[in-house]
Amino acid sequence: MNSRFYLSLMLISSLVLMAFLAIAFNREMTPVWKDYQTEYKETLIKNAKDDGTRERAEKIQVGLQQIYIKALNKSDRCTSCHAGVENPLMAAAEVPYKQHSGNYLKNHPLPKFGCTLCHRGQGRALNIAEAHGEEHQHWDFPIVPAKYIQSSCASCHDYKMLETEGGEKVAKGEKLFREKGCLGCHKLNGVGGALGKDIAGIANKAYYYFSMAAVVGERNMYSWIKQHFDDPRKIVPESQMRAFLTDEEADLLTTYMLTFRTDEMPRSYRLIKNIDKVATDGKSMYTAYCSACHSDGKTSVYDEIFARTIPAIRNPSFLKTISNSELKRIVKEGRKGTQMTAWKSEAAGLTEKQIDEIVKYVAKDRPSEKSRPFNVAKIKSDIERGAEIYNNRCALCHGEEGKGGENLLGMTLRDSALSPEFIAITVRDGRKGTPMVPFGNGGIGLSNQEIADTVAYVKNLTNDKK
Amino acid sequence: MDNSNKTGLAQFADNLKSVKSSFVGSFSRGGWPTSDKGRTSTVVNNFFLHLHTAKTHINTLKPSYTLGMGLISFFLLVIAFISGGFLMVYYSPSTTTAFNAVKDINFVVFGGQLMRNIHKWSGEAMIIFVILHMVRIVYTNSYKQGREFNWVIGIVLLILTFVLNLTGYMLPWDQLSYWALVIVANIAAAPKELTDIFNGMFGITLPDIGGATKEVLLGGTEPGQESLTRVYLLHILLLPLAICVFLGVHFFRIRKDGGLTRPANVSAGSGESIISPPEKKGGIFPTHKTYGLMELSKGRTPAVDTDIENTVTSWPNLFIAEIAVFMFTLAAVVAYSYFFDAPLKEYANPMIPENPAKAPWYFLGLQELVSYSAFMGGQGLPGLALAGLIAIPFLDRENRDIGIWFTNKQGKAIAIESFIVGSVAVIGTLAFVVTQGWFREWWPEIHQLWIVAINPGNLLLGFVMVYTLWVIKRTNSTRMGAISLITFFLVCYVILTYTGTVLRGPNWVFYWSPSDWPIH
Amino acid sequence: MSEETRDKDGVSRRDFLGLAAFGTAILGVVSSVAGSLRYIKANVYFEESKKFKVGTVENFPIGSVKKLDDKNVFIFSEEAGLFAISAICTHLGCIVSPVDFGFQCPCHGSQFNHIGNVIGGPAPRALEWFEISQEIDGSLAIDTAKTVSQGTKYLFA
Repeated sequence: MNSRFYLSLMLISSLVLMAFLAIAFNREMTPVWKDYQTEYKETLIKNAKDDGTRERAEKIQVGLQQIYIKALNKSDRCTSCHAGVENPLMAAAEVPYKQHSGNYLKNHPLPKFGCTLCHRGQGRALNIAEAHGEEHQHWDFPIVPAKYIQSSCASCHDYKMLETEGGEKVAKGEKLFREKGCLGCHKLNGVGGALGKDIAGIANKAYYYFSMAAVVGERNMYSWIKQHFDDPRKIVPESQMRAFLTDEEADLLTTYMLTFRTDEMPRSYRLIKNIDKVATDGKSMYTAYCSACHSDGKTSVYDEIFARTIPAIRNPSFLKTISNSELKRIVKEGRKGTQMTAWKSEAAGLTEKQIDEIVKYVAKDRPSEKSRPFNVAKIKSDIERGAEIYNNRCALCHGEEGKGGENLLGMTLRDSALSPEFIAITVRDGRKGTPMVPFGNGGIGLSNQEIADTVAYVKNLTNDKK
Repeated sequence: MDNSNKTGLAQFADNLKSVKSSFVGSFSRGGWPTSDKGRTSTVVNNFFLHLHTAKTHINTLKPSYTLGMGLISFFLLVIAFISGGFLMVYYSPSTTTAFNAVKDINFVVFGGQLMRNIHKWSGEAMIIFVILHMVRIVYTNSYKQGREFNWVIGIVLLILTFVLNLTGYMLPWDQLSYWALVIVANIAAAPKELTDIFNGMFGITLPDIGGATKEVLLGGTEPGQESLTRVYLLHILLLPLAICVFLGVHFFRIRKDGGLTRPANVSAGSGESIISPPEKKGGIFPTHKTYGLMELSKGRTPAVDTDIENTVTSWPNLFIAEIAVFMFTLAAVVAYSYFFDAPLKEYANPMIPENPAKAPWYFLGLQELVSYSAFMGGQGLPGLALAGLIAIPFLDRENRDIGIWFTNKQGKAIAIESFIVGSVAVIGTLAFVVTQGWFREWWPEIHQLWIVAINPGNLLLGFVMVYTLWVIKRTNSTRMGAISLITFFLVCYVILTYTGTVLRGPNWVFYWSPSDWPIH
Repeated sequence: MSEETRDKDGVSRRDFLGLAAFGTAILGVVSSVAGSLRYIKANVYFEESKKFKVGTVENFPIGSVKKLDDKNVFIFSEEAGLFAISAICTHLGCIVSPVDFGFQCPCHGSQFNHIGNVIGGPAPRALEWFEISQEIDGSLAIDTAKTVSQGTKYLFA
């Protein structure tokens, strides 16, 4: 009885095994690239204009194609499907048989460069979804969308060359990156503000580095970067990023962002015609590091995103009251309690000399005549009286605690480095071009005694630990 | 020498003429066996067959008795060994090349994906079948009369099966590998939880055994090339060697302990001949009933004490069964592998943990326990569970009704009862923890000692122990206790594993289904 | 259980089942083994392209011999044209070095003359000659996958 059972089990199992081996064999012998290559070959034969072409087409052997590049440790099998990338006869054909556009392959021969060096995607994969990294597929770097593809050029070329020789998008993006002052908040290669994330190597971050919950369409790094330019707080709710960009600008910046890669090209691959020089004059640096928040620095505006007023640091009436060394101190150390970064070399990475240049540029429009001095120390002040004046006249804008901030037009007054005299002069003379009016004789009409009392109260607030 | 009168050349010519038959004969000495004597000697004289007895009891051949679990486990190991050897053709154990090698196996190697699936699934199926084999052993009362030692060997094989699977999981060096390695290394470091508690308590400083274990395992403080090299060594050399040795002992002991257990009544075929075995008395390791090399080779042989009439020659009956089970196992593994691909995630990224960072599924029951306390869940409770399993044959020594499923009606009832009670207890505990939280949620400041000492895992274990004792008291039988205990073990393992695998999502939050997980 | 069927003459039902079962089992195992052997043969080789660029004609002044060390090719330039000779000994694959009579293999003493013909030692064949072609950009390319007959010389503008 039992041996009958076992023999039947053996027979059925063996048949099942053979059946599965057969269909597995069939699956193995009919990969998707084989269909593509066969069709490519047939198209070539069909469209051949002369015998020589036909003969060569008929000689094509259908088989797995691989471009192995030792120097880069890359195995790109893309040409298994994209069989016609080098064939001028396929210039007008459909993808995947189409010839590579432009004359890029002439200077970047496939055996040396392969495909994924520029296009990314998974060169080892042999099916569409995984090779292109569609919908993630556990592959961190899907195919770069065509509109951002120039980002790859910057791996080997300088921007000056790219500007004129086919890489204008990424070159524009690089320029825009400085003009928009991205470095004011983001650190790149050791230089930049601390408010945002360090963006060095961002183009090599894994899929899961980015929070994709709010990303629309294809969820990948490229969509994330572009869409976070469009609406930073939609993608990252707690973001304070100030991005006001047109769609085109966002695309250009995305292209540039994608150049921040960590896989450096070997020397033999790089072609640097010009050394890219980052402008180090005061104006350029002000644009790169300061303008994102302070814009032109002439007017102070209440900023919804920062929930505080951003000071007008190039306002002549402000400059009148502040010396260069004081300005430099603020730039170097930052402003505690606000978004202002400390720019010293240990923090945001600017050198002493660079800060000097920036300060010089900021103070460029300082009026020649100085403010009338205000010798606060000589006046005996009454803090309680000052409190009354402060609460009546100043608290509306600067807040009862003098911190400025949300929904308040005024600056924070609680910086211990603010000298009493600086505050007193500002109260007396006001700030032209801002909501701060003169409170002294020329304006509201507070006496010097009253101003001194108020200043004493403000300084007392600063010492208050609250 | 008898044909010394022939010339050397003539002898040579004769030998040349008969070379075919003498060559074949040197391999198959008796020719194809046609008599029972021939069948017996075939088994005895063949290196590969002689581990078997020459004759096999017909009840051993009944598929419904053993369900072939042990044999299936063994064949799965064979399949895993062979497929593993093939994978090694393309694999290279370096953090920079391992991932690409596995990708290449998937993408361009002929049948590579299938081979990898076969290796993966046969290895993981081993876990299931080894556990089912163990459960079968307990349910059929087959861990007695000298088999106690082999039961312990079996537990060692279970552990080796787990560790082999686990080390294999590390080799592709993808996100799964990396973060499983991190978790495992930190479970190895979990005794720190205990040493930290006692450090400075009585003015003593305990050595950080956990930390040291972790660093030895990883060859550093975090996973890297050194860890991969070590894990690779374990996976392809040390552990396979160990499992071969222990498996050899396991099989050897089966032989020496009198073959597989079997129900004594012979009800196969039409004849209802029931031959009761002779009454046996004696200690826990019966050493009487020996033949062959007598006292040199102690043990029992299957044909001595009981019904010789109910045995058949192993050739071909047993071998047909074995080959059939092998073909069945192979066919099942290949079929499963055709449909289900072994997972492969992104390249290992030390910056970004998988969320949830899950251990391989067979450890997710433990991970559920680990989520209460790393030490108790990762080492304490599994250690205790294994100790409990090892203890079964030594605490239940009722040498009656060997080889009978559930022993009797009461046993069946106890198994069902334990199944229900166990399920309710585990699900209840999980439901309580998921909805109410535990000490840390109630008193965030609580000392770790309390959590190590009192956590849902420990309570569950305590409950199982108490309930088993109660079963023993109620039924007045340690055998019933054993049935109850193994049922609890099975139920706990299955439900906890299911919970950890399916019901736990990102941040180890409870979800009814993975489809409810939020988008990252 | 099987006593009665075993003793029957001819192919009984059990014997047929047994034959079929063992037959298919052996077939199944054999095809598994065959598949596994096919598995061992690699579908892709991690080798660089056999065709490589060597620069323009100006790189090869007449009368010069250049050895490309990483490709194991000698490139000769003569009045009659350029030609490329393999540096791989046809005996057992060692690398030959140029000597005054032609090429000498260090491993087993094979000797070749200037055009690669065997003049001594165990080598069974002459050294291979490779195809040289001119790319669209004017640079020359050697394809070590394509051998040409001895004496094929290429003249390029």
